[in-house]
Amino acid sequence: MSLNYYHILKRIREARKLVIRGITAAGSGHPGGSFSMAEIMGCVFFKFLRYDPKNPLWEDRDRLVLSKGHASPGLFSNLAVAGYFDKSEIETLRKFESRLQGHPDFKCPGVEFCGGSLGIGLSFSIGMALAARVDGKTHRIYTIIGDGESDEGQVWEAAMTASKYKLDNLTAFLDRNFIQQDDYTERVMPLDEELTGDDISEMWKNAARWKTGDKWRSFGWNVLEIDGHRIEQIIKAIRSVQQTKGTPSIVVARTIKGKGVEHMEDNPKWHGVAPNPKIAPIIDLELDCQFLIAPSIIAGDMTNLGNEVKRAAQGRADFIHLDVMDGLFVPNKTFDHNKIKELRPITSIPFDSHLMITDPVKHVRDYVEAGSDIITVHAEVCDESSFGEIHDILRTNEVSVGLAINPDTELPQWTDKFISDLDQLILMSVIPGKSGQKYIESSHEKTHRIVKLLTKQNFSGFIEADGGVDLSNVESCFLDGARVFVGGSAIIGQKDVRSTISEFRKKILHGRRKLLIQKAHSLGGTELVNKWIDLHEVGKKKSELLQIAKEAGFV
Amino acid sequence: MTEMTDMRTVYGETLIKVGEENSNVVVVGADTTDSLKTKPFGKKFPNRFFNVGIAEANLVSIAAGLANEGKVPFASTYAIFLPGRCVDQIRNAIAYPSRNGKKGLNVKMVVSHGGLSVGADGGSHQQIEDIAIMRVIPNVNVLIPADTVAVSKLTWIISQIHGPFYMRMTRSKTPLIHSESQEFEIGKGIVLRDGSDCTIAACGITVQMALDAADSLKQEGISCRVLDMFSIKPIDSSLIEKAARETGGIVTCEEHNILAGFGSAVSEVVTETYPVPMRRIGVQDKFGESARDNEVPLLLQKHGITSINIANSVKDIRSKTR
Repeated sequence: MSLNYYHILKRIREARKLVIRGITAAGSGHPGGSFSMAEIMGCVFFKFLRYDPKNPLWEDRDRLVLSKGHASPGLFSNLAVAGYFDKSEIETLRKFESRLQGHPDFKCPGVEFCGGSLGIGLSFSIGMALAARVDGKTHRIYTIIGDGESDEGQVWEAAMTASKYKLDNLTAFLDRNFIQQDDYTERVMPLDEELTGDDISEMWKNAARWKTGDKWRSFGWNVLEIDGHRIEQIIKAIRSVQQTKGTPSIVVARTIKGKGVEHMEDNPKWHGVAPNPKIAPIIDLELDCQFLIAPSIIAGDMTNLGNEVKRAAQGRADFIHLDVMDGLFVPNKTFDHNKIKELRPITSIPFDSHLMITDPVKHVRDYVEAGSDIITVHAEVCDESSFGEIHDILRTNEVSVGLAINPDTELPQWTDKFISDLDQLILMSVIPGKSGQKYIESSHEKTHRIVKLLTKQNFSGFIEADGGVDLSNVESCFLDGARVFVGGSAIIGQKDVRSTISEFRKKILHGRRKLLIQKAHSLGGTELVNKWIDLHEVGKKKSELLQIAKEAGFV
Repeated sequence: MTEMTDMRTVYGETLIKVGEENSNVVVVGADTTDSLKTKPFGKKFPNRFFNVGIAEANLVSIAAGLANEGKVPFASTYAIFLPGRCVDQIRNAIAYPSRNGKKGLNVKMVVSHGGLSVGADGGSHQQIEDIAIMRVIPNVNVLIPADTVAVSKLTWIISQIHGPFYMRMTRSKTPLIHSESQEFEIGKGIVLRDGSDCTIAACGITVQMALDAADSLKQEGISCRVLDMFSIKPIDSSLIEKAARETGGIVTCEEHNILAGFGSAVSEVVTETYPVPMRRIGVQDKFGESARDNEVPLLLQKHGITSINIANSVKDIRSKTR
């Protein structure tokens, strides 16, 4: 099975937006910890957890225990997305007679543990896991604990007990966001090492200084340490855990408190504060503006594509773009599914296979089997029936569904019925066939136009800009509405892939900030712009934002 | 001489029988399974017996998780380590979670070594606050059996009805109060002696004191009603009201702090239904101290928990009401 990448990504985005909606309506709540665990929640809910919203107490369901109960909006939002109740109910959060209490509660269908008082959930989960063993059941228990919560001694009582009873049906996630209510964890009660002085941000970027995993290892747990915001790493960890016998597992997930909203990220202030209702629409737009970088490896050394995959992975690409050309649909030939299969074991980063081939319906299964996570086919060589077939094959195999059009092609009428369900739309900004071409300027206008059209058709996927995208135009591509950026020679062709990708991100971020300032201005003029910018307390964000606002004439 | 029997032994034996009948019954201990006599259950049902070590918060929370999955966990250790130490876990993991009309999770917290009569271990180990702690938590039921007949029957009963139960046993052997045929019902007190001049309400080891006091008062021509109020929560309000109405005064006696304990529970009913004079005998808001087994009566005496004091209180009430 593939990652089901966009399926999960879209739901995570939706859940985050619901968190903001709920907390804003309530006027209180905990966004920071809801967002740090958002990817973990999304992967568990929409990839692994067996559940039935119509029968919340189905005996054989997997159990998800949110021990760090103050992050309840992060749980409720996922329950809503999963279909346990109507999404609009999130606005009753924390209100009188609501099912959505301030902390997880059995009043809300799908909640497995009444959390709130910290340190209890892991013990409770042990009870669940022991019961499953007594009954010979195979369901699994997933438990999310916090790093601040790990100050509680009971967590370590539970750590010993789960190990004693070899509870391999129990998986814990440590949402290691380094922030608790008062301050950074390493100042309040160090889990890794005490933070002295003002060396705040650097401390936890240095993995060599992390000791939390060792603590759990010494308690006899199977420990996996990952980046808790990378879907493929979370999925890989859970898959590995499911194969682990005879010991409980914990996934120590390095996360960022408030992840997804710039002013909340890494700022202890946002542990438990609701956004101002005037700011909420700006946050909502910010969450819609998530962007991804996908280096295209054919721009590198074609004789050593394995190395190009490694460079892209080490460069922290979001996924890897694989241009498959058959010499028929386009004049050139690159590689086929056999190559992808060969490259697959190198990394767990999603493979975005762009099939520039004729008759894709004939071959799509090969690309699924080769390990693609996203497969994009060209509208020029499909019709309603063949794309329908491709769509179904991909969905069955949890592969994300993409459609591409050439610079001189418009979306054919038959695509209408697929738009709302489509994960990715590639708008080619060069004539496909070879790497290193110049961006066709009219693509900006075309993207704008298509974005408008797609919005009307309830498109919830991502637009991928592919062809000639580089540091000079990536910001405009973002402002056009593209959210995924394929970089060929502009990324893989560069010596230092990692810093190039980082430069790409900075450019896009600049565009996003501009867009959000515009949004703030349209909602509340200069006053709101300033108010929003003032929220960006950590690092240099504030001065950077002021600069952009000045340049754009908004302050 | 009345026959003396051991509550923990009977508890352990009953658990095995309950476990044979109901395969969902599981037992969780915290390094006191030998003392609580739950070890034989573990021998008989090794897969349904869990010793979590000296980790009481963990003990009750794991029990809650087991109950959540349909098990009927009996979590047992000494009184001093459960209500006082784990009030948060008991409240939030056991009592609070309620779904589908079922109030609280189905955990049975059965402890030994309640009250002053623990003796030698000293004041640090004499739980004299448990009734107060447990009865103010919504959904938690509180039982204090007076003898092994009650222990056996109540163990059966609580295994069969839903809800969080706290049952406090006594460390040392206790005299048999009830006959084997005595029936028990949660929320119903038992009239051990009928009488018309005053009522003595007791629980646990003070039931025998109440009977002794009634005997001695009888010789003086005072007719006392004696109630075994083993069910402190829910409490038998109608039995208390009836006693107030028919006997005109109530003396309570408990091996617990006088504040917020059993006497307080009775007086809450009396003041709201049929106010009559009351005297509450118990620990006067102070801590206990060590006493070897043969000195435990002296310890109780020091805190005024004696049949003589009960009798005097009855007389005191009667002198004031005439």
